Amino acid sequence: MGCLHLLPSRGVFIAMLLPDHSYVKAKSLEECLKTLRETGEKAKVVAGGTDVIFNMRLKLFQPEVAVSIRGLKDLQQVDELDDGSVRIGAACRLADLIDHPLAGGRYPAFKQSLEAVASTHIRNMGTLGGNICLETRCWYTNNSDQWREGLQGCYKTDSELCHVIKSSSKCHAINNSDSPPALIALGAMLTLQKEGATREVPIAEFYRADGVNFSVLEPGELVTHVTIPPVSDRQVFIKITPRKGMDFSLGAVAARCDGQGEQISNITIVLGSLVTAPVVLDKPAQVVLEAGLTDDAIEKAADLVRDELGEVSNLYGRSIYKRQIAIVLVKRALVQLREL
Amino acid sequence: MARKTEIGTPDRSRRRPKFDGELGSREKIDLDVIGKRQPRLDGPEKVSGRSVFADDVQLPGMLCGKILRSRYAHARILGIDTSRAEALPGVKAVITATDAGEIDVNGREPVFASDVVTYIGEEIAAVAALDELTAEKALDLIEIEYEELPAVMSMRRALKEGAPLVDGKTEGNVWSDDIDNYGEVEPAFEAADYIFEEKYEAGVTHNLFAEFHVAVVDFSLPDKLTLYTPTQTSYLMQHALAPAFGLTLSQVQIIHLNTGGAFSGRGSVRPHHYIAILLSRETRRPVKIFATGDEEFLVCRALGENKYKMRMAMKKDGTITAFDMEAEMDGGAVGTEVGYFGWMAGLCNSWVFPLEGLRMRRRCVLTNNRPNFLGHGGLMLSTNAAIMQLINTVAKKIDRDPMDIMYQNAIEEGHTGLSGEWFASCGLRECIETVRKASDWDNRYGKLEPYHGLGIGIGSMAAGAKGAFRHDTSAVMVRVSEDGIVTVYTGIPDMGQGTHTTMAVIVAEVLGIDPNDMKVVAGDTDLTPIDVGAFAQRGTIQTGNAARNAALDAREQLTVYAAGKLEVDKDDLVFRGGKVYAQSAPDKLMNFKDLVYKTLHGKEGRSVMGRGFYNSPLQFGTTSWSFGAQIAEVKVDPDTGEVQVLKVWVAHDLGRAINPLACEGQIDGQVYSAMSQILYEEVQTDAGLYLNPSRLEYKVPRSYEMPEIDYYLIETIDPFGPFGAKEIGEGIIVVSGGAIAAAVSDALGGEFIGEMPMAPWRVLKHIKRAQRQEAAGRTAA
Amino acid sequence: MAKHLVTLTVNGDTYDLVVSDNQTLLDVIRDEVNLKGTKRGCTTGSCGVCCINNAKGEAVLSCLTHALEWDGEEITTIEGLEADGELDAMQKAFIEYGAVQCGFCTPGVIMSARAIVNAHPEPTEEQINAGLAGVNCRCTGQIKVKEAIREDHRFRHKRETGSGTQD
Repeated sequence: MGCLHLLPSRGVFIAMLLPDHSYVKAKSLEECLKTLRETGEKAKVVAGGTDVIFNMRLKLFQPEVAVSIRGLKDLQQVDELDDGSVRIGAACRLADLIDHPLAGGRYPAFKQSLEAVASTHIRNMGTLGGNICLETRCWYTNNSDQWREGLQGCYKTDSELCHVIKSSSKCHAINNSDSPPALIALGAMLTLQKEGATREVPIAEFYRADGVNFSVLEPGELVTHVTIPPVSDRQVFIKITPRKGMDFSLGAVAARCDGQGEQISNITIVLGSLVTAPVVLDKPAQVVLEAGLTDDAIEKAADLVRDELGEVSNLYGRSIYKRQIAIVLVKRALVQLREL
Repeated sequence: MARKTEIGTPDRSRRRPKFDGELGSREKIDLDVIGKRQPRLDGPEKVSGRSVFADDVQLPGMLCGKILRSRYAHARILGIDTSRAEALPGVKAVITATDAGEIDVNGREPVFASDVVTYIGEEIAAVAALDELTAEKALDLIEIEYEELPAVMSMRRALKEGAPLVDGKTEGNVWSDDIDNYGEVEPAFEAADYIFEEKYEAGVTHNLFAEFHVAVVDFSLPDKLTLYTPTQTSYLMQHALAPAFGLTLSQVQIIHLNTGGAFSGRGSVRPHHYIAILLSRETRRPVKIFATGDEEFLVCRALGENKYKMRMAMKKDGTITAFDMEAEMDGGAVGTEVGYFGWMAGLCNSWVFPLEGLRMRRRCVLTNNRPNFLGHGGLMLSTNAAIMQLINTVAKKIDRDPMDIMYQNAIEEGHTGLSGEWFASCGLRECIETVRKASDWDNRYGKLEPYHGLGIGIGSMAAGAKGAFRHDTSAVMVRVSEDGIVTVYTGIPDMGQGTHTTMAVIVAEVLGIDPNDMKVVAGDTDLTPIDVGAFAQRGTIQTGNAARNAALDAREQLTVYAAGKLEVDKDDLVFRGGKVYAQSAPDKLMNFKDLVYKTLHGKEGRSVMGRGFYNSPLQFGTTSWSFGAQIAEVKVDPDTGEVQVLKVWVAHDLGRAINPLACEGQIDGQVYSAMSQILYEEVQTDAGLYLNPSRLEYKVPRSYEMPEIDYYLIETIDPFGPFGAKEIGEGIIVVSGGAIAAAVSDALGGEFIGEMPMAPWRVLKHIKRAQRQEAAGRTAA
Repeated sequence: MAKHLVTLTVNGDTYDLVVSDNQTLLDVIRDEVNLKGTKRGCTTGSCGVCCINNAKGEAVLSCLTHALEWDGEEITTIEGLEADGELDAMQKAFIEYGAVQCGFCTPGVIMSARAIVNAHPEPTEEQINAGLAGVNCRCTGQIKVKEAIREDHRFRHKRETGSGTQD
């Protein structure tokens, strides 16, 4: 072989101390947005810390500035709006939303998705905004920098290569977050703010099919609120994990519909944790919308999942297995919806 | 050149201890302390954060050590430039192979790679700095020039003709090739009515103890080396380190404080111990090295890939007559004695079945993987899982109840095994009967809902393994203080199993006092007498016998005054309930504390210090074996392949339960660990890279997954154990593994599943295949 | 890296500490406050040995949060459970029921267990499992830990009333 390398040997596995950076605790949203504008891509917003500090330990994130929004009370409110929607501050802790009458109490699928996140410990720290912006995951990248040096770089670390699907022209890290499929099924809107500008984006349009730039969030921009419209109680979220507690999912589904019994008038089915972004399943939805939630239609809809899913990587599980459970998830979600 | 051995049936007389008693008498002794649920004596320290673990040790002037590891599985090191690192302010030392000189790890691996690295994670250089960030930065500044060499990352590749040689010299990459041939194997197969064959594969694991690898060293003075580290054996560490650094044994002080779990993973010294010592010697300051999350997976020496082929010979009536097994074990980049454990794994079949023949070929293969050694339950967990699963599936094929097959074949007291083992106590059949009744097996087996399964596993475990090490010695001292408090001095580490409390209970029984009036001094080789360590299930039987002997010695010293004072014969004295009295005249009595006070301050000035010693009377092997039977009930989700263990019934012949509370704790942990390894644990690899080296991604079950457990402690009162006790160390885990694997197989209709762990995707593969076959069958019909 | 003056109340004692930007709460508890009961494990939130309780008595992981985030706050570590020279009811239950083996994860497990009963004085199995899922214990399989949590309120009752209802 005989290829020669002369390389410095950076890093020492998972850093016990966080890498150098400065920490700023924002006192107001304005101050926060100003700091974010000034620092741009050198900043990371820290709310609960569970994802950001994790990635800083692996030196996947090496921000110059960590901007804490934990002190921003405006982003920790849950309010009912005039049209019956519920507006949730992005810095609300997951644990607080589970039993909140306007959040988990009103939207069962949302509650189920929050309860499925990691462990009580993590939910006591992690926030809704953090869960929505959870960094995409890949077992070639979500390891320490010393570990990663055993490989060439990848799209996430400034090289033009994907270790998961070698021929790929983009990053295949997966969106492994639990609340997004539920929020998409519920038709939630996100409020994104940067200094001097606010925009509303349906969460269904927030994610991009690219593991590196996985959302439409711009530098300096912050998810400040999540607004969920009033919807019927026919909604469900299911997650399959290697173990029940403290785990990312191998696959998750959220679904919501209107109508009664087998007859439905409107349905959204969303798969999560399988590819780089949550997948809204159109064809299966169309099948059950036309034929109703009959056993036959559910089987038929589930069979269509395979086509709509596209390429499933073998990250955190064999791809053939993940396809199979995607079908099971959709079937189970539709059967459960019928009972509601 | 591979080491080759071939062993025939040995001289059996060497392995039979002298015994004149009556077998199976289960002598009734009236005990006062033993058998009560005794909470651990160090409980208050452990629940309050007072317990000191190695990472909690702060020594004056202590430096932070960090290790630079190879990123290549196989490469030549063309040059190492440490000058920039040395120049960094705050860096006190940078060391490489040159600084280690002739020193190697256990005579086996180098401390640092010098010219060639042979696995990812191999140590190349290390730094000591004032703080952690500086040490990290210094590692960044070390430049290494590599020339990458072809690597072999699997046994399959390593064994291919023309494969690159891992160590450059071992022919065919076969480090050892041993064949054990016991009894008459071929005739048994020739005479067999059935021969069953299966293959079984188990993956790479980690011991996953709670406390990470850590070493704190003070070697700032040339004639005193102090090492704080978690371990199963301070004794073997002293013996490895003293000669390496030109010291006498007594100049090496190992302080193992509390050890945060071991699970067969802390049985020897590792490169990081040597590196911390070298750094401390170089800087003349204390140094701490702490392995971080993913580094843990490279530092550990757990199991590598293991592959088995097995054949079983059986008669029409269900009698199992012989096994023929072949094992290929990935030793990783450094040849190790993992083959020894392969020997035990093969042999243990003959501890439960009265075989006519047993053959085991075990090859240790070199690859460019992490050097591998042992996991919790060793290779016996995987082989027993395979064999128990095989017997459960075979029973279905020949239309027999596996329970009957187990019972019919189970050995009994007085049996002599193929390698000469003699089983003086054996409650195997009683264990089988117990779990059979408790689980209502007869009414439930074969009649459960689809995808529910029941499985039975049986097994045996040797208590102690004399011959595995040069000595198998345990000594204990018992000091009686003026206030009547008794202190036990022991060198055996307590990694959580509760051995220290067990020793206190044994001594308390002999002296007739409350175990809560006792202290245990342990964990410091400067204070404690010799003890080989806590492995091979030797603690209760070896150290326990030594503790009993030490207590008897102390009691003997106390009887002198008591016999005189009470005017009775000293053999007539009973020590019980804090009192000392005459058996023949119980009203002649005195308080234990008074007796102690008067003895210590008597005219003769008797200082009471009991000395006890134990070394198995055999030249080789052990005197005592535990036996067990377990039934597991599982449920499989046919859509996802997820397995849930619902309940495990555990009956274990442990000789005698010294402390039932601790015994139950041992059962809990081992059932958990068996379930974890059979169903979950697997290091995912891609060309030798560990993809999931973390507590998050290396899956082990947690609170939700734990099944209900029923405990049945079967006491057969072994003639050689202290008060009849044998072991409950790893005897449970090997049986649990078999029961759980067999139950999953039963839930899938009796199909043999030849892969460990039985991860959901593997289970689903089997379900889908069976469904396809069934559908094809329907079409054909 | 900048240093900041931080006031942190640990187990009722208030400390003025100089803390740098990159120190986590775990680093500060162990290295600045010098309480070593809170253990250093994976430092990435997966093993649970660094668990402490926040002012609300909830379980949080000290390895995953900037120390500066806690300026002015109150926390409880394993060392803070004892009162009046006596172990807390949960600590006693852990000893009595054999829920401690090697003891390395024990501080994290007990702080998690305390958080469970703080929220649910007589917890259900689901609540116990949920509260323990964040900690990893190979020694016990959590069986006796769960027993201790179930029995904790009896120990508490005994302490409050002086009467034993412990069986």
